[in-house]
Amino acid sequence: MHEISIVRNVFDTLQETYPDKFDQITKVQMEAGLLSNIQPILIQNAFEALILEEPGLADIELEVVQLPIIAHCDACGQDFEVVRHRFVCACGTPSKKIVQGEELQISKVEFFGN
Amino acid sequence: MSTPKYPKSNQMSVGSIQCDNTTLNLLKANDFVAKAIREKLSDVLVINVCSSPGSGKTTLMQETGKRLSDKLNLAVLVGDPETDRDAVRMKEVGINALQIVTGGMCHIEAQMILQALDHIDLTGVDLLFIENVGNLVCPAAFDLGEDIRVTVLAATEGDDKPKKYPRMFLTSELMVVSKADLLPYVPFSVEAVTQDAREVNPAIDVMAISSLKGDGMDEWCDWLMAKVAEKKASLETA
Repeated sequence: MHEISIVRNVFDTLQETYPDKFDQITKVQMEAGLLSNIQPILIQNAFEALILEEPGLADIELEVVQLPIIAHCDACGQDFEVVRHRFVCACGTPSKKIVQGEELQISKVEFFGN
Repeated sequence: MSTPKYPKSNQMSVGSIQCDNTTLNLLKANDFVAKAIREKLSDVLVINVCSSPGSGKTTLMQETGKRLSDKLNLAVLVGDPETDRDAVRMKEVGINALQIVTGGMCHIEAQMILQALDHIDLTGVDLLFIENVGNLVCPAAFDLGEDIRVTVLAATEGDDKPKKYPRMFLTSELMVVSKADLLPYVPFSVEAVTQDAREVNPAIDVMAISSLKGDGMDEWCDWLMAKVAEKKASLETA
């Protein structure tokens, strides 16, 4: 989708959240649900492009974890994985109660420190 | 930005790592503004109308305005990458409309709506349409503070679209099949598109409409009137 602005947003958010130890960040993990239309390789490319502007970020490792779509079925009470955007439980009941898959967030930050 | 002083974690042989498991939502800025819009427009039914370019959103708005002008107070915020052509078309038929020029952007963000609210008089308005930029991908991700999202799909676009653009149809309450007067001439099955859309969103309603010929317009206007009434009733009980 809009990978450059998303990557920019990642580091703006981190600077805002960790003003005192932003410069100690070594690794950032992002979670992107399949419904967020995020392609991990394009995020990496955008990150490389941002590093040209902000060389200081070159030492940070960025990991993008894609999360599958999980929905909850009220009929059988189970969660099921939505494959190929078919929102139908194995028991045959349609459901769009999304439990996971819309995420676009920073999930883990690692810092060098003591 | 300041410069990190330490090497990449995977290259490090000494030192210690602290880990912070967190949830920092990257669309929080938009979602925060969308919430503010919802609070500001708490007594107006807001419908976000999405589709590809050229599906007939503006014509649908024009015809809806003509039919409902004596029953409802209606306004339209219309987004396009460039030009004010759509707002001009609305105003020509007497609709209270404001153009949002996104400056090339492929979707409307909540901040643009919030700013637009300062430039349109919504006193007494019951129903506000947001006519989004023609695009079935990006607008799906941006909450504009709407109550309902409606996706318009023209009969000429093909009945295989819902599964190709799942998030849009997943987040819509209603799919309007527009240009329905062309159905006899194009390979488009309302039944097939309904089935495709319901595999993504089992709860989606489907309506076939021809804005130009009038087919389905009564059903559409009744649906709108009922939704406005529902919104007003929810305010009274709240």
